[in-house]
Amino acid sequence: MLAASPAESIVVMGSTDSIWGEPSPQTPLAVTVRGLRKAYGNRVVVDGLDLDVPAGEIVGLIGANGAGKTTTVECVQGLRRPDAGTLRVLGFDPVTQAARLRPHVGSQLQESGLPDRLRVAEAVSLFGTAHGADGASLLDQFGLGSRLRSAFATLSGGERQRLFLVLALLNKPRLVILDELTTGLDPAARRSVWAAVRQLHEGGTTVLLVTHEVDEAEALCDRVIVLRAGRVLDAGPPADLVSRHAGGAVIRFSLPDPPAGLLDQIRRLDGVCSVERDGPRVTVRGDRRIAAHVGAALVRWECVPADMSVQVPSLEDATIELIGGES
Amino acid sequence: MTWRLIRAELRLMRRDPLVLTFVFVFPVVTMLIIGGAFGTRPDRAFEYTDPAHWYVASYLTVVIGAIGLVMLPVHLASYRERGVLRRFAVAGFPRWSFAVAELVVGLVTTVVACALLLAVAAPVYGLPGVHSAWRVGAALAVGAVCFIGLGVLLGSVLPSARSAQAVGLLLFFPSFLLGSGGPPPHVMGAAVRAVARPLPLTLLTDAVRSPWLGIGTAGGSLLALAGVTVLVAAVAARRAVL
Repeated sequence: MLAASPAESIVVMGSTDSIWGEPSPQTPLAVTVRGLRKAYGNRVVVDGLDLDVPAGEIVGLIGANGAGKTTTVECVQGLRRPDAGTLRVLGFDPVTQAARLRPHVGSQLQESGLPDRLRVAEAVSLFGTAHGADGASLLDQFGLGSRLRSAFATLSGGERQRLFLVLALLNKPRLVILDELTTGLDPAARRSVWAAVRQLHEGGTTVLLVTHEVDEAEALCDRVIVLRAGRVLDAGPPADLVSRHAGGAVIRFSLPDPPAGLLDQIRRLDGVCSVERDGPRVTVRGDRRIAAHVGAALVRWECVPADMSVQVPSLEDATIELIGGES
Repeated sequence: MTWRLIRAELRLMRRDPLVLTFVFVFPVVTMLIIGGAFGTRPDRAFEYTDPAHWYVASYLTVVIGAIGLVMLPVHLASYRERGVLRRFAVAGFPRWSFAVAELVVGLVTTVVACALLLAVAAPVYGLPGVHSAWRVGAALAVGAVCFIGLGVLLGSVLPSARSAQAVGLLLFFPSFLLGSGGPPPHVMGAAVRAVARPLPLTLLTDAVRSPWLGIGTAGGSLLALAGVTVLVAAVAARRAVL
């Protein structure tokens, strides 16, 4: 019997080995990085970084420009040789086994183009593989079916990104690495690319998404890893990061003449931290659950304000707090 | 995958206006002008050969020089600048595939452009008889590999397509005027001749023209060129690995 190839026998790590965000025990890991260090001259870009990407999940790598995101994924792809640390990607060492790893990985690289005069159909035929996906179907799926004879230089920014995504998927990859996927796209194109990424996820493909668009990470990712200066600041599901770092929700509404006892009851609701009144304006602070509780209480008391606003913290707030707090 | 890359690269070269201009049009046009400037009577300055034939025998190396000093550096630097090579690397193209593709593209372009040059020269000036075909063939083969290597090397160290174009043209035109398509060495001053003599394009032109026209074997030039080729090809091959 043939032994399973590394690509078939993904590393399985117990909870004691997992870090940052704690994938559940026995979660198969598509990518494991331990103690990664990379410097360019005297400038250390990645400094002792550890990360796990559980198989089948969308994991986002976020951080400000220069945080070390792209260098990290370039090491994961085997494009750069780390100064120190160990990496396993789908069971392969990306440095010494790059040729065996690459057929299983699809990559959309930041700042990487195609020759200006290469046509869309020619690009698909150049990067396609014998047993890979049907290029024509992918082009149709990403709205490029009518641009087959168009030269790369004539494509819009959105069309180029979609073409890169098509090229990244041609080899039916088990891991897709997307670096600044939607930079420069208009909102509609962005949404269509997001839908494609979700579709990949539903098909069981692991996605490592590098972005500084935090709303993109929040919309797409099962788990987010926040980097700063080449180190992991925190990681976990977006909601966990928000509750750990973004503070609470704030509800504001006007009640010129609130019934006696209403505000006291709101004050006692689960998750409410404070209730302030300034004339008719009422401000309630607490965790993310208070929106539901306060709304329900107001309905029960038949006091439904017309101007109620709910400010719920986002992953962006958490990231700013996290990065700002550390700097 | 290497074969697909070669086909794509050949197709792209065909669409590149810089290639069309410098590799296909420029040598033909300048050969027609210079070849007709000195008449067809054998002259001492041209080692007692027909000046038109002197230039026909010289201009094949202009094609090789244009490929190595202009076409390939710009092509490669533009690929590096735009991250195309990184894309090839992560897509799983074999490490040597790009080096092989550039070599094949360079050789195919050389053959086609030289054939075009000879096809234009034949009805206008006639083609001079080749005195030592194997020496001429060896010199052309070694010279083509040498200049393809130089082109890859320049393209791999220059930071952008614009800088590659500037440096390439700066190297090409003096080499062209001093070593290949310009005045014959006998009419140059001693200082200019001393500068021209060690240039790779001068060595190549001498190694092609002398055995072609029967004015010498130019074994020393061929040997020197082969030495440069070994050095350049070794470094270029490493630089072109994905």
